[in-house]
Amino acid sequence: MVTLPPGAGTGPLLDVRGLRTYFPVRGGLLHRVVAQVRAVDDVSFTLDQGTTLGLVGESGCGKSTLGRTVLRLRPATAGQILFDGTDLARLSPRELEPWRRRMQLVFQDPYASLSPRRTVGQTLREPLDHHGIGTPTSRRDRVAELLDVVGLSPAVLDRYPHEFSGGQRQRVGIARALAVDPDLIVADEPVSALDVSVQSQVLNLIRRLQVERGIAFLFISHDLAVVQHVSDQVGVMYLGRLVELGPARRVYSTPRHPYTQALLAAVPRVEGSPADRVLLQGEVPSPLRPPPGCAFHARCPRVMEVCRHEAPVLKDVDGPGAGHRVACHLY
Amino acid sequence: MNATALPLPAPRRDSLGARAVRQFRRDRTGMVALAVVLGYLAAAAGVWFGWWATDWGALTGTKWEPASAAHWFGTNIIGQDIFARAIYSTSVAFEVGLVVALAATALGAALGAAAGYFAGSWLDEVLLWFMGVLEAIPFYLFVAAVAFALQDSPWAMQVGMIATFWIGTARLVRGEVMKLRGIEYVEAARAIGLPSPVIIARHVLPNTTHILLVQASIAFVGAIKTEVILSFLGIGIRDGVSWGLMIEESTKEVLAGFYNNFLAASLLMFGLVMAFNTFADALQDALDPRKVG
Amino acid sequence: MAAAPPVLRVRNLTVEFATDAGIVRAVDDVSFDVAGDETVALVGESGCGKTVTGLSLLRLVPEPPGRYAGGSIELAGRDLLALPGEALPAIRGRDVAMIFQEPMTALNPVFTIGTQMADVLRQHRGLSRSKARAEAAAMLAAVNIPDPDRRLDDYPHQLSGGMRQRVMIAMALSCRPRLLVADEPTTALDVTTQAQVLAEFRRLQQEFRTAVILVTHDLGVVAETCTRAIVMYCGSIVESGPTAELFRHPRHPYTRGLLESVPRVRAERLPELPVIPGRVPDPGRLPAGCRFADRCSRVQSRCRDARPPLQPVGAGVPVSVACFNPW
Ligand SMILES: Nc1ncnc2c1ncn2[C@@H]1O[C@H](COP(=O)(O)OP(=O)(O)OP(=O)(O)O)[C@@H](O)[C@H]1O
Ligand SMILES: Nc1ncnc2c1ncn2[C@@H]1O[C@H](COP(=O)(O)OP(=O)(O)OP(=O)(O)O)[C@@H](O)[C@H]1O
Ligand code: SF4
Ligand SMILES: [Mg+2]
Ligand SMILES: [Mg+2]
Repeated sequence: MVTLPPGAGTGPLLDVRGLRTYFPVRGGLLHRVVAQVRAVDDVSFTLDQGTTLGLVGESGCGKSTLGRTVLRLRPATAGQILFDGTDLARLSPRELEPWRRRMQLVFQDPYASLSPRRTVGQTLREPLDHHGIGTPTSRRDRVAELLDVVGLSPAVLDRYPHEFSGGQRQRVGIARALAVDPDLIVADEPVSALDVSVQSQVLNLIRRLQVERGIAFLFISHDLAVVQHVSDQVGVMYLGRLVELGPARRVYSTPRHPYTQALLAAVPRVEGSPADRVLLQGEVPSPLRPPPGCAFHARCPRVMEVCRHEAPVLKDVDGPGAGHRVACHLY
Repeated sequence: MNATALPLPAPRRDSLGARAVRQFRRDRTGMVALAVVLGYLAAAAGVWFGWWATDWGALTGTKWEPASAAHWFGTNIIGQDIFARAIYSTSVAFEVGLVVALAATALGAALGAAAGYFAGSWLDEVLLWFMGVLEAIPFYLFVAAVAFALQDSPWAMQVGMIATFWIGTARLVRGEVMKLRGIEYVEAARAIGLPSPVIIARHVLPNTTHILLVQASIAFVGAIKTEVILSFLGIGIRDGVSWGLMIEESTKEVLAGFYNNFLAASLLMFGLVMAFNTFADALQDALDPRKVG
Repeated sequence: MAAAPPVLRVRNLTVEFATDAGIVRAVDDVSFDVAGDETVALVGESGCGKTVTGLSLLRLVPEPPGRYAGGSIELAGRDLLALPGEALPAIRGRDVAMIFQEPMTALNPVFTIGTQMADVLRQHRGLSRSKARAEAAAMLAAVNIPDPDRRLDDYPHQLSGGMRQRVMIAMALSCRPRLLVADEPTTALDVTTQAQVLAEFRRLQQEFRTAVILVTHDLGVVAETCTRAIVMYCGSIVESGPTAELFRHPRHPYTRGLLESVPRVRAERLPELPVIPGRVPDPGRLPAGCRFADRCSRVQSRCRDARPPLQPVGAGVPVSVACFNPW
């Protein structure tokens, strides 16, 4: 076995502080940077071992970028990514490599996430071979075990991805992430492309992995119902910033930020929605030119004068013990 | 533990390649073209094994004999057998075509993949600039320059072609790789920690084979046609004989009203180029990922 | 039930595709009516034949590989499947219009919104150029697009996804079709935008009195938008009826399973989501009896021998179900 990077052992598994990811926009004849997309803008949160933080927000609010930056698949512009006490943001690609064993990614598109010309067995062996996990013979057993965990028969080892349904591919993708026995999995819309009946199968699998293997998840989805089902904590993003963060139960029962309230009200419900619900007007502003003050002020039903020029910061509501934080001048 | 195990899908055990083959075999024109190409290949192989056309250089007859049982296509101005020379030239054409196609495609794949995977970096900028420069030089001037620089080398023509033919492939591969590098299985490979060369070789390039096969066939045909023109201009094949040299030879003969040499070389070349192009089109259709995927 | 006479009568519609694996029956003996003031949902999982059914209503299924293997589609008294091909363009857009999931593919990127909308109006309603433009602006205003006069000169890529979908709705409704087929019109949109677009939809349906068929897989959207729902599984209808009744008392085990397994925002999260075990069978290897039998919790031996026909449940309840052992 390879020696893993030492962990501090105390404190949260993941402690993200003031993280920013900006993408330069180049233009003009000289290819100069003419603007910055602030895809992730001053985001801080912590994630304990074996727990799940659900991230929700509208398309383009920076959920995927945040998830990938945490894994250092995108360069962080500023801020710290303390993983077990070590700041990943400051590591070189070479120093980062052993950490790749401890964090993995599961993708949205079950059709694009597996190499079409490699068998399921090859796909699952690759991380084991690369990190030298187990002996070459024990790896075969390990691959079979991984398939078993995600509910697939070991007989599928020699099959190609196109022979599987979307839900089965998604299970292979989860098995690949599990191969290195990670402590953290970033799951970027893992069930969004699946059918309802298969979606619940995969969600139950993810819940089981949390409980049985103590894996922490950063679970990204635009579907609030799905996020509620798997999350201990929920973070709501708007234009690159976290506007509300707290225990899932609290955020869903008593959403505080007007944006969270609007988001929850907009979810179409099987039991029908109240006729008096307030629909959000307008659209998300361009991240190239975020509005001054509170980024949400142009669409906010409860906007006040101060919102137009002063950006609110995340503050505890309901006292520090509740862990419910909101970035809004109302509180 | 497996409360939610899924039943296995229907056993569809054909790989992507098998589907492409099946698709191709349905294409009648493509199959005929393939048969013609294989016929040419057999002719060339016979030459390589020394089975026929061994006396392409010998003076087996007299000047400008008409077609006969002894000389199927007649003889040329100095009494050599035109049929033997044309068949021998087929093997030369295949040699030139294969060498150029393989080398240009390999070079184009490697450099195109590097440029595409690191698109936006200095490496990409340098490669793009280099391709632009090479393309700015008129082709025949370039080959002449290479021929001059390599002095006596019999490979001057091939080097010249390889040095220019890879560019088209590289540009296409670069574009495709730029698409592929953002795709999720490539990102998954990065998340595992694989180094870039391994990712390119294992996860990116294998998914560009449809481009590479088609580009290689274009280079093959291009090389055969270019050989004819370059040899005609006197900067192509130096030793031996080729369709280009035969046509060059025939200019004096055509003026004198003797067409056998010219017709033999140009019709054989035309047949191979046509058949190969048709084959390449059918191949492209069969490999189209929208039909295969 | 709806008092208005049916605008659309589909009887025994069957659509097949020739594929590598043989003939696939994508729509199998489907019959339903839609009245003039109804919004009818077509729901079901991926591949169950919703889109093909929707396309058939405009006779837009690509032929080949597709083929209408039987049945009739009566729109305002005429059987679309019996009409000559030349008669179709005049009907599409005027009598029946369609909206797709990805509006970007339905709008031509090289023409402005205004040009494209005016073209449709001039062709189907014979308006003059200036009248058509004015009408197009009025339609954009009707779908709540701010500053419609300026928007007319925008190209499709200059609009956001939600705006493009509104433009599609405006365009589809501009010729006052009797029937509008909307295939997953809000699936690609955010919930907030979806809520806006669906609200427009409901308002306009009232205003223009257009019959609407809404293809979707989202049961929440069905509950909020549709008066009646048709649930499909493997190319056939398994249950249909008024949305409220269907959701209050799902009778087909598949409808029930679907309703239970869909994740919803709940007061308390469940320890485990209910699932429908297994997966949809391959179209080439359908079971002989009821197609849901392998996944069904109420399966009986006769379910495997014969296919249950779609029958009214009776007792004055306007619901039909195709099940031998309904709830
Ligand atoms: N590689 C990139 N280069 C430039 N801009 C980018 C890049 N990746 C993302 N962005 C921009 O950053 C912002 C956030 O994108 P991101 O993909 O993180 O959003 P998201 O919340 O995941 O959205 P979705 O729900 O649509 O997946 C967007 O405005 C996007 O255009
Ligand atoms: N052009 C085609 N060629 C072959 N088969 C087709 C074609 N179009 C549809 N089918 C088949 O018809 C069946 C029904 O497809 P359809 O698109 O109607 O499903 P759907 O219910 O709209 O699914 P989704 O929710 O994924 O849009 C599927 O099995 C599909 O494979
Ligand atoms: S800060 Fe103001 S504008 Fe922003 S959400 Fe709160 S009330 Fe609305
Ligand atoms: Mg995303
Ligand atoms: Mg569809």
